[in-house]
Amino acid sequence: MNTKLVTIVLGVGLIVSVAVLVTQSSTLHIPGNQEGYQPPQPIAFSHGLHAGEMQISCFYCHSGADSSRHAGIPAASTCMNCHRYVTAPLGALREEDELAKKENRRPAPIVSPEIQKIYDALALNPKMEPDSQKTSKPIEWTRIYRLPDFTYFNHSAHVSVGVDCQTCHGPVETMEHVRQVSDLSMGWCVNCHRQANEKGIAGKQVRASLDCSTCHY
Amino acid sequence: MGRDKPSRYWKSWEQGPGASELIQISTNEFPEPLDRPPSQFSRRSFLKAAGFTAAVAATVGCSRAPVEKAIPYLVQPEEIVPGVSYFYASGCGGCSAGCGVLVKTRDGRPIKLEGNPEHPLSHGGLCAAGQASLLSLYDSQRVKEPLIGGKPASWQEADRRITEQLASIRASRGPVRFLSGTITSPTLNAEIQRFLATFPDAGHVTYDALSSSAILDAHQETHGARLLPHYRFDLADVVVSFDADFLGTWISPVEFTHGYRSNRLNESAAPKMSYHAQFESRLSITGAKADQRVRVAPDELPSAVSRLAVSIARLAGIASPVPDSGTGNPPDAILETLAQRLWEARPNSLVVSGSQDRRAQVLVNFINQALGNYGATLEIERPSLQKSGSDRELQALVDELQKGQVAALFILGANPVYDLPNGSAIADGISKTRLVVSFSGQLDETASASRFVCPDHDALESWGDAEPVRGTLTLYQPAIRPLTNTRPVLESLAAWRGQPRSAYDTLREYWRTEVFPKRQSRDGNGAGAAGADFQSFWDASVEAGIAQIKTASTTHPFRGAAVAAPAAAGALSADEFSLVLYPKVALGDGRHAHNPWLQELPDPISKITWDNYASVSPAAATRLGLKEGDVVRLELQSRDREGAGAQTIELPSFIQPGQHDAVVSVALGYGRKGTERFSTVGPKWIFGRSGVNEEGRVGKNAAPLLEFTDGSLQYSGSGIRLTKTGRQYSLASTQSHHTLTIPKNIPLVGGDTREIVHELTVAELVEKVHAAATAPPPPELPKRRFPEVPMNGMWKDDHPYTGHRWAIGVDLTACTGCGACVVACQAENNIPVVGKDEVLRHREMHWIRIDRYYSGEEDVEVVHQPMMCQQCDNAPCETVCPVLATVHSAEGLNQQIYNRCVGTRYCANNCPYKTRRFNWFNYARNDKFQNLALNPDVTVRSRGVMEKCTFCVQRIEAARIESRRHGAAKIADGQVQTACQQSCPAQAIVFGDLNDPNSRIAQMARNPRRFAVLEEFNFRPAVNYLAVVRNRESEITKEAKAHG
Repeated sequence: MNTKLVTIVLGVGLIVSVAVLVTQSSTLHIPGNQEGYQPPQPIAFSHGLHAGEMQISCFYCHSGADSSRHAGIPAASTCMNCHRYVTAPLGALREEDELAKKENRRPAPIVSPEIQKIYDALALNPKMEPDSQKTSKPIEWTRIYRLPDFTYFNHSAHVSVGVDCQTCHGPVETMEHVRQVSDLSMGWCVNCHRQANEKGIAGKQVRASLDCSTCHY
Repeated sequence: MGRDKPSRYWKSWEQGPGASELIQISTNEFPEPLDRPPSQFSRRSFLKAAGFTAAVAATVGCSRAPVEKAIPYLVQPEEIVPGVSYFYASGCGGCSAGCGVLVKTRDGRPIKLEGNPEHPLSHGGLCAAGQASLLSLYDSQRVKEPLIGGKPASWQEADRRITEQLASIRASRGPVRFLSGTITSPTLNAEIQRFLATFPDAGHVTYDALSSSAILDAHQETHGARLLPHYRFDLADVVVSFDADFLGTWISPVEFTHGYRSNRLNESAAPKMSYHAQFESRLSITGAKADQRVRVAPDELPSAVSRLAVSIARLAGIASPVPDSGTGNPPDAILETLAQRLWEARPNSLVVSGSQDRRAQVLVNFINQALGNYGATLEIERPSLQKSGSDRELQALVDELQKGQVAALFILGANPVYDLPNGSAIADGISKTRLVVSFSGQLDETASASRFVCPDHDALESWGDAEPVRGTLTLYQPAIRPLTNTRPVLESLAAWRGQPRSAYDTLREYWRTEVFPKRQSRDGNGAGAAGADFQSFWDASVEAGIAQIKTASTTHPFRGAAVAAPAAAGALSADEFSLVLYPKVALGDGRHAHNPWLQELPDPISKITWDNYASVSPAAATRLGLKEGDVVRLELQSRDREGAGAQTIELPSFIQPGQHDAVVSVALGYGRKGTERFSTVGPKWIFGRSGVNEEGRVGKNAAPLLEFTDGSLQYSGSGIRLTKTGRQYSLASTQSHHTLTIPKNIPLVGGDTREIVHELTVAELVEKVHAAATAPPPPELPKRRFPEVPMNGMWKDDHPYTGHRWAIGVDLTACTGCGACVVACQAENNIPVVGKDEVLRHREMHWIRIDRYYSGEEDVEVVHQPMMCQQCDNAPCETVCPVLATVHSAEGLNQQIYNRCVGTRYCANNCPYKTRRFNWFNYARNDKFQNLALNPDVTVRSRGVMEKCTFCVQRIEAARIESRRHGAAKIADGQVQTACQQSCPAQAIVFGDLNDPNSRIAQMARNPRRFAVLEEFNFRPAVNYLAVVRNRESEITKEAKAHG
């Protein structure tokens, strides 16, 4: 009796696992594989708009990419270079402008709630001056591309030989909301290094090391 | 076989000539007894547990990684890119030597101190204490805010109460005293003078816990100025030292080591070498380097100096100021030959003495004067300011304090309650004083006795300057914002004198008015290059961390009349030993006692960590029936202290070869308040034992055994009785750990016992150099040493090394064993501190250790050999790793891949050099705050992982990326400096590319002195050692002379 029960339980378990495997196989991943990770971010920042439509260079914001290990996330002060003046989407501003012209009044200031978050972080008042009543608070972005602590990746090493950002990060300029497009596994890194040694990068011969201590130390 | 010849070198007395257990100790597989009961864990239960663990791991592993935030700056400073390390030139706050440092900061945090290569005194070296002073910044037990009566208070409150009291003291003309250690900062000295000038009766008393007062007093007598000469070891061809440990702890060891080394061995076609004789009672690292080392008891030293003076006077043809005092130890013959050598080398000879006997120092001055060394190897025109303490003034102040005559006492950079013999009397005096203010950043013995504690910034947080040698300035700049609510002394004093000003403004003002007008270009050629206006001069000085100024020329004529014979030391009774109190290289006077890196640094000679002890010579130990670890009671029968009872202290004994038989030596700087924290250092587990002694501290304070005699603190010479207590205490010594032994049953290729270290005399070197010069140059680097015997091909020659081929060279002639590299490596590579208990279990984690070998029996000689992973081409570790966690790189490194390692420890077992270290635990730092000092470029290893030196591969990779970014195909020679190489004060370590024939390392590999350790086994290590050379006749010449 007892063995029968055990057999039934195990059998059911087996069927369920197989079913899960078959139906969910696209989303299953090996431990540590974060491919497709697309966490919510504190500001609905669109790479598609900035890097795609506006064609702002990646390095304008990620200025560490060619000089540092980290590409870096832009400081709020970098955002303010434009958003001191651009307070809302262009369409909304233009609409208000036309409406104001029609109603024969000065256009009312429009601040998009997402851009307002930058002003709040910097504790600015509507006149873009530091507001002593408010406290500034850095923006906490959620990190998407992440390597384990024992792996050392250096952006500048790759950028300086001409690896495109998109090679690893995918078509970011089309993404409204950035997600991780590569699995960042060691095999993926090493394959790219091997191919680079064979085919070169951007028509140039490169020496991409395959030694373990290139990344692990 | 030729294996019958015993090795010349041995590591400890018990394993060496001392006796019997030699074989057991070195060949036992398990150094500690396996006295634990066998495990009851059966194979079945293990499999069950393992299966369950695997299941859980699989389940957990499938979940997403935890969410990580990335928080950028709000307003990014223009000059900072996150992730890039920046170096700021500053000065070291570790002691009063004022060495230059480069502070490596990463993302706003100082993470490493390196020597400033352009500093005119330290030349890029930085000692162990300097390296480790980084941890003091991140010490969670720092005083974080002002304290009044032990309670936290605000600065306003403290200022209000102090100024109130000062006003009433000023009105009542009460005496105000400022007590400090040597202050080399001219700005701070000026501010103290301004502050004290506001009181009618005020004085600044300076003393050093490691005093050189007698040298200063002696110069007062002979030269009419209380000054400390600037010793130029770099110019001295003959150095005679009477108990001055100038390479280890005396005045400015980093500077002296560099100077000494630079003139030590000149390897031109005709090799030339300086000559160094050391007379000492204990074995110091300076004595270990000497060409001639003579064991002399403290009471024999004055007579030795007098007899040398007599000989020199005879050679100089002047009247001897002292009578010929006959004979004794050291033998006359030795002194005669030395006098001859000194005379021939004059004025490039140098006699130094660490003695605190003023009259002996006067005689040393006479000798140097007779040799004409003043102006050559001793500079008194530009004297050293590194020690200016006056023991006489200190004694007067202590008297005043005890009589309750002082109204206000300010204490800066000194801990008199701890480091003076009558500490309790001083604490008592402090309690009688109306206003006592300590500036200490640590709640030390003195600060906790003070009513007000007004903590100073850490050196890394403050603006400041130092003038270690007249005319040479080090400029300190902050590398981080103050971490806690501390305030620089400059600001406190300015506030209390009613003119608050920031430390930066005070410093700049001083430099504008006092330094800028006297500026000089750094090579000393006029002012033109040093900046035309103040701002550019200031900017250049901040950038370089150094400035040179012109000094007023003064002459100090020698007054021969002052010279007199030193007093004969009082004879000790037969059952008494002569006590020698000395500072250790790591801990010095004890100010760094809270620093775990220094506590765990093995002493260069005894190799003991985490304790002080009473060292006796093997002969004395036999006489007393002492074994290592026997606790002895030391009883000081004071001759000078009226009414005071005998001072006793109980310490474990240690048998120190090379020590004088009539001497007991004890290290100062232990038993400090604040070391209680180390009771919990190391992993917490069921067999873990406390890291402190029965007093709850690390070691014991030997300062009560100091004596004031003749106006100076005496560190040696007092009579002391030793009695066994019958108790035992284990000392955590690393000297028998990781021992290289060649098993007797292994036949050697070449058939000869080869020593692990090689030594040569200059004469032998000359022969070698000639042989090398006449022999045709080898077509390539010698791959092995025994080409005549074919190596059986166990390893294939399959490392082509088409690009770089990294290697290290260590010049053992230069290496002093000081341990700076060990701490530098620890800081660079996030090496944990394991604690005394784990060291006792042979589990210390240092990647580079310094093996210390003795040779000889009575008058032992010492050779130090830094031993790190040898990155063998034919690496025994690589062949046994079942998971390929250690593999060979294309550039010759044995890579250690932590994330792949499963901890079988086969590699460590198979490593012939014993340089691999295993993480038995997750060695979290005892002080979590100190994790801020971790190097973000190196993985923090977790439990179960093997680790080892990889020639600072993170620095190699950084240099590779940097050079490729700038379009260079290869890393240039010198672009990568390993951490050990960078800090080495003797510049004994060279790292580079063997494939580049012009690199320094390739030249080193072609040196006739080159050898590799255990080379005969064909491991082909990448570490090249250069043999120790001593300036003496070779055995052959000696024999020939004896027969001729």
